Order: sequence, then C-alpha cells, then structure tokens
Amino acid sequence: MLRFLLAALFAFSLTLSAAGPLNIPFKEYKLDNGLRVILSEDHTAPSYSIAVTYDVGSRDEKSGRTGFAHLFEHMMYQGSANIGKGEHFSLVFTNGGTMNGTTSQDRTNYFETLPSNQLDLGLFLESDRMRSLVVNQANLDNQRKAVQEEMRLRDDNQPYGKTLDADIGTAYNSFAYKHPIIGSMEDLNAATVEDVAAFFKRYYAPNNAVLTLVGDFKSDEALARIKKYFGDIPAQPAPPKPDISEPEQKAERRTAIEDKFAQVPRLDVVYKIPPGDTKDFYAIDVLTDVLAGGTSSRIYQNLVKEKQLSVQAGGFSYEHRGPSLALFIAYLRPGSDPKETEKVIQEEIERIKAGGITDDELEKIRMQNKLGNVRQLQSTGSRAIQLGQFAVYYHDPGLINSQIEKTLSVTKEDVQRVAKKYLVDANRTVVLTMPKAQGTK
Amino acid sequence: MNWLMPVSLAAVLGAGIAIAQQAPEADKSVSLSKVERKNKAPVSKELIKVRLPRPVEAKLDNGLTVLIIENHKLPYISMQLLIDGAGPISEPAAQIGLASATASLLTQGTATRTSLQIAEQTDRFGAGLQAASSFGGNGAIIAASGLSETVDKWFPLFVDVLLHPSFPEKELKSYQQRTLVNLKRQRSSPDFLASERYNRAVYGKFPAANVSASPEFLQALTPAMLAAWHDERYVPQNAVLGIAGDVNPAQMIEMLKKSLAPWKRTSVEAKLPPSAVAVARKQVYLVNRPEAVQTNIMIGNIAIDRRNPDYIALRVANQVLGDGPASRLFVKLREEKGYTYGANSSFHALQFAGPWTASSDVRTEVTEGSMTEFFNEFNRLRTEKAPDAELEDARRTIIAKFALSLESPEQVLDAAIQIKRYNLPADYWDTYAAKIAAITADDVLRVAKKYINPDNAQIVVVGDATKIKSIMEKYGPVTLYDTEGKELVN
Repeated sequence: MLRFLLAALFAFSLTLSAAGPLNIPFKEYKLDNGLRVILSEDHTAPSYSIAVTYDVGSRDEKSGRTGFAHLFEHMMYQGSANIGKGEHFSLVFTNGGTMNGTTSQDRTNYFETLPSNQLDLGLFLESDRMRSLVVNQANLDNQRKAVQEEMRLRDDNQPYGKTLDADIGTAYNSFAYKHPIIGSMEDLNAATVEDVAAFFKRYYAPNNAVLTLVGDFKSDEALARIKKYFGDIPAQPAPPKPDISEPEQKAERRTAIEDKFAQVPRLDVVYKIPPGDTKDFYAIDVLTDVLAGGTSSRIYQNLVKEKQLSVQAGGFSYEHRGPSLALFIAYLRPGSDPKETEKVIQEEIERIKAGGITDDELEKIRMQNKLGNVRQLQSTGSRAIQLGQFAVYYHDPGLINSQIEKTLSVTKEDVQRVAKKYLVDANRTVVLTMPKAQGTK
Repeated sequence: MNWLMPVSLAAVLGAGIAIAQQAPEADKSVSLSKVERKNKAPVSKELIKVRLPRPVEAKLDNGLTVLIIENHKLPYISMQLLIDGAGPISEPAAQIGLASATASLLTQGTATRTSLQIAEQTDRFGAGLQAASSFGGNGAIIAASGLSETVDKWFPLFVDVLLHPSFPEKELKSYQQRTLVNLKRQRSSPDFLASERYNRAVYGKFPAANVSASPEFLQALTPAMLAAWHDERYVPQNAVLGIAGDVNPAQMIEMLKKSLAPWKRTSVEAKLPPSAVAVARKQVYLVNRPEAVQTNIMIGNIAIDRRNPDYIALRVANQVLGDGPASRLFVKLREEKGYTYGANSSFHALQFAGPWTASSDVRTEVTEGSMTEFFNEFNRLRTEKAPDAELEDARRTIIAKFALSLESPEQVLDAAIQIKRYNLPADYWDTYAAKIAAITADDVLRVAKKYINPDNAQIVVVGDATKIKSIMEKYGPVTLYDTEGKELVN
C-alpha cells in the first residue's frame, strides 16, 4: 500500500535510460603459455585498469611455511629484470595511477589503474615481474621486516586485531583455511631463499594466472600488445591442489581472548557454510542479510535499537572457494552480559527457522543486492578485479553479470531451509573478545 | 551481501564500527628499500587531455543551488545536499556536538515515519540514505543514492528527512548512549588521540579544534535543541544540491521545484569565525599510551584556506614532500630507513585556513630517528630547489590523478561543488592542469619557506612516555596528557 501511494505521488518516471539487466561486455582469450586473458572495453574516461589474479592464496601454504602467499605480495615490488626495486610503485604513482596487491586465502591479485595513454606501462610492469622477479636474500630479509611491521601495525596495536584470526582458527579444522593469511613470525623467520624461489616458480606462472583489462583501449590492439609482453613467458607444471576437506563439525566450539586495546567486549558467532557460487551459499547470503545486514536487519533492530545490549551489530557471509563462513558480530554495551547478546542472536536465528522470512524482507534484500552490485561495478578497477577473481575461483568471469541473478533467484523457502540446515548448535563457533585492563594508566 | 561486495553503506557512514575494517585481506605492498630506477619501462610523457563535463546548473526560487551531472553508464543516481552553516564550526562553544547530533538524528524519525520505517523503506527501494555533520567542517550533508529505477520511491525519503525530522526522544536517548560508548571506545585508538590533540594544538580557539562531542553536553541534549538547530540552520539559501548519474536533468529540476517548494528561504547566513593563524611558538604534546609499540607522530601548523593564491604551488610542494609513495617523507622514512609502514604530509585548505601536517606511525624504538628525518626533510624543502626531474614527476602525477578522477560521476560532481563552495572561477578546472604545469622550483621553495616552518611547528606524539619523553624534550617543552585527554603534571 505504501509503495502504491509513493508511486502515485510521482506520476512520471525520472529516468530515460532503459534499465535492463546489467551487461558488462567482455571477451576471453588464452595464450599458448596458458595465460588466460579477459578484455572489457569502456570508453567513458581516459583510463584503464589492469589486474593479474594468481591462483594462489594462503590455503596453498604448508604447515611451518605460513605467510608465503602474502610475503609474495611484498616481494613482487622488489624488482625484476627491467624494473628496479620499488620502481613499480614509483612509475605507477608518478603517472597518476593507483595500484595495490591483496592476498586472501583463495588468490593473490595485483592491479593498477592508469591513464589510457600508459597502456604499455601497465602491461610491461606486470609481465616483467611474472617473467623475472628478483628473489634474493636481501629482498627476502627486507620484505620479511616489512611484513612483520605490518603485523605489528595490524594486530598488535589496534583493537580487535586478533579476533578474526581467532574466529577462523577455532571454526576450521582444515589447515588450508585455519591459519592466518599473514602467517606467523616464526614461519616467516624460517623462510629461506630457496623456499621462496620455488614458490614463485610454481605459482607465479602464466598458466596459473588470469590477466584482465577494463577501460579505454581497443581490444585487438591490446591483445597484440599482451602477446608481445606475456607470450614468451614459459608455462610451468600445474601446481598441486590444496587439501581443503573440512570434516563435519560435531559440537559447538568456544574461545575467549583478551585484547589490551579493546574498550568494549565483542562477540562473534560463526557458522561453517558451503563454498561460494553454490545454491546454498547464495541462500545463506540472503539469510545473513535478513538477520544482520544493515540497520533494518532483525538482529540490529533487536540488539542495538530495542534491547540496547550492543552498540553495533552486523553480519555477513564470508565467501571462499572452499568451506565458507557466516559471521555475526556484536560490540557490547559496557556492563551488558555477553550471554544476553548471544541469546538474542540465537533467538533471531530460531525465529527464522520456525517462521521463515517475509516477502518484504526478501524484496528488501533483493533491492539491496541489486544496489550493491551496481555500486561494485562503478570503477574499472573493481570490474577488473571481479572478472579476474570469478575466472580464477569458478572459471566463470560471466558471474560479473550473472551472480546477481543467482542471488535474486533465492526464495523464502531456500532461506528457511539453509537456516535449519547450517545455523545449528553443533556447527557454531563462538568467540568472545574481552578488554584487558592495562597495567598502567 | 557477501564479502566480495564491500559493505558500502557501513564504509560511507563511518559513524558505526566498520566491520569491513576487520577484512582479513592483507593489502598494500610496497618496498621498504630505496627505489632503484632502471628507466626501462615504456612511459608516455604526453600530458593527458582532461575534459571535464560541465554540470547543468539551476537556482531554485528558495535560493537552493542545484548541479546535475548526467551519466547513464549504470542505472544509478547519487545525490548530495551540502548545507553550509549547519556544521560544528558554527555551533556555540557550550554546545559541542549539537550539529553532529542533529544531522545523525535526521534519519531517525520524521513526522510520518519512524526510524525503522525509514531504514526499511530505504533498503526496500534499493537506496542508501545518510546524514552527517563532521567535526572540523562547517556543513551538514544529506546523501542519498540508489537505483534509478526506484528513484521516484526513494527521493521522497530524502525530502522527508530534510524537511520533517521529528527528533524522537527515544531515538535521542539511544543516540546519546551509543555516542557515549563511542567516545569512550575511540580513546583506544592512537590515531584518534593524535588527531584530537593535534587539532587543539593548531586551531587553538577556532572551533575546528574539536574533533568529537563534549560528553557533558551530549548528556544534556534535548529534542528541542536539535529541532531549533535544524530550523535555524537547515536553510536552502546556504545549500548546494549535487546530483550525478542516470537522470534527465530537465525532469529532475522540475521535480525538485515541486518537492522542495515547502523549503523556505530565511535570512540566516553561513558565517565563519575569523580563521586561525599559525601558532608562533614551537610546542610538543605527548599523549601517554602505556605499552604502545608505536609512536604516532603529527607535525604541522596553520597554513592557507582554499581560495589562497598559493594553493596551487603548495599543492605541488606537498606532492614533493609527502603526498604518496614517491614523495620524500615516504621514501626516507619507509624505504630508506624502514621506520614505518607509511609517512605522508597533507594540507587542509577549506573555507577557513587549515594546517599543513606531516605524519607517520613509527616503531617506538625509532621515534628519535623519525623526528630527525622529518625535520631534515622540512629544511631541505625550504632551502634547496627541487630537481627538475622530481618536480616534473610531481606535476605529471597531479595532472594524471585529476584525469583519472573523472572515471566517477560523483567526483566530477564534487569538482563542480567545489567551484560553488569556494567561489572559484567557473573555468577553474579547465585551467587547473595548466596552472599545475606552470609551477616552478622557485614557487615551491617560496611556499615551503612561507608555510612549512620547523621553528614554530606544533608536534603531537602518542606513545609510551617512559620510552619517548626524553627524546621529545629535545624538540621543546613537553606537555603530557593521558588517554582521557587530561593534562598530567610532570
């Protein structure tokens, strides 16, 4: 009724464009050395983005050698045959570009956005380090130091810096997903140049990567240049697949940690769920949104607005190529009992199992997902990253257009079914982060 | 939404706890060692051509300025209403927190909608709606964005929170409680402690000195106070409404005329108190954070406002000194010395004069070395002409960055809003690249001498006083604070 009234107030449409389904155009190619290439033209601004996504993440690491995938994210800026140490960064920046690299459990990516007149620069930078990264003792020592500094900054000096590590460390059995991406100080200290060189040769090969270009270029010209820069990099034997098998969890797990920089307690309630791009994952994604996505969600309204047990609450599904997680996080009001907050989260989950969700809620989540998807597609950089990631994760870059349809096809019945199936006691992990009183004031 | 889709609302809001900050992805990846240039990569030296789309501009009868950038790439529209004079700079000295509370509560209830209804309808219509008024600014912002297919549904929500907020007692209580907890929690953040002390140091009596609400005043707030501030300050003649995206400008303007007709012009002007001037005497402020493994350093002083003719030269000087990874501070402190993960400088030039600021978070053990390098770099910028190659890089960077920013319609819109807000010439951005390209080494030297002055720098450090106090005393008399913001007697 309300929607009808509002529509009546604005009898004319404000948009002229035909707002049909999104269609990000792209073309796929494969070079002889196995490098997969994705090109997507967009001529709105004089710029383009390049992303190289390597099929290696912390899940590929072995016990005693953790932190390698992320260490590489740093090593990759240490120079190659034709690029000096740190010169990559300097070249991108002095040409007005932006760049970064990120490491997750499931992949490592490197990306730059540059003016369109610097197409050769981006291709040269990425090809030169894929072909000829300099791996030596000095670089290793230096970057080990950089990573350890990053650890200190991230984990040892900020509130809740160790909470997510506690979540995954407790919830997972599989070593692949259990250990922190950044690794341990001990493992990093134990890394040798030989280890690092072998890791590079095995995983940073053209046949283990996807190159994506999005933006202001002509595809045929770009492809010719890609062949020129990348075509002669030799392929390597396919890397081994990591063991990501995760046994069924039989009983609830609980951990409490202390945090000397936290001022209020934080409660994390975590469930193990199926891998990304599965029917159940999409349904759980909708479920976590109904429960805890934003301020109109059930848990937020109950915990923060009604009962005021927490000052902030949220939740999301954390997508992996392997076993994934649904997380609900609440920052408690000082003095409130964590058990009370946990009980409310539990009650809201049980309410969905018993009564499902409403049409309005489903419609709301659909619209929010459409919106999130459009926002995600705004920049060429984000499109390049997504195309590369979908290609590496699921061999389906077309998910950039079709993933939203999969989310929109989730039904109320799906949501209730996955709540009953996965959000159960035995599949739960609860992590409580308590402020630790500081020794001196 | 799953993790592949960042929680954009949470990120924009910033007021809550950004859960996204806990992202496990370890980002950033730069060398800690000195840059070695082989100069073999193909680089085009051509300066990229920058063409800025001109916005459609209109002035409504009530005095509201409207700017529209049409772009149909995606079925998406974003709007930003910036109301001058409704921000903390204008609030009375005894009411620190009034402006931010008023803005925050706009979306928490109107004459016809509860807070929950606003949140639910915004979500259901595929939109986002936020209002905020940040410390250090003189404006309040109401921002709405969403799918163009549903704009006729979500735009009325925007109008409703602008014109008819009801400031419900219950929502205010909840806001007070949450904000008090946040005020307490932010004291665990060294970045917050540093900026709190730094803003007090440089701004002095100017109201940008405040970076958060007074807890005492916050508890005394009433709905009537918020309503009075809203009535007086949320007025069209001081506002600019920017719209970017999938819209038809003519239709949009017609629609605005109808829906914003009840918003009446008044005689209130958005006046600013006199700008702060650079503090004459060098001072050191140390916030003691026991057990901290890092020292957060901020150094600077008041420099210029946005209309100052030195803006362009200072923009280039700052690029050389500390803007980004090719800059001197970054190269010296991070790459050459390995003291830190990052070091930078910036300058804050708004409607009023703001500071130039150099900052870094360094390991406690290298606090002294870092201070030395900071001051060495300030002096080098003031006494030596920047080499041609470095200056050429700095200028090319600024111009190319500007070109790249045009990818986003919001940023094109933001550029247009700046022209209005700072009363810049209409062709300001068309000539921007040429103005940057014309800056010489002498210009950089001149503005560095004028503004980047080590002799009166205000120095704020947050760290373990038992380890760094004696070091800081070499830079001037040290005033010591605890993390609650209380001055400690030495």
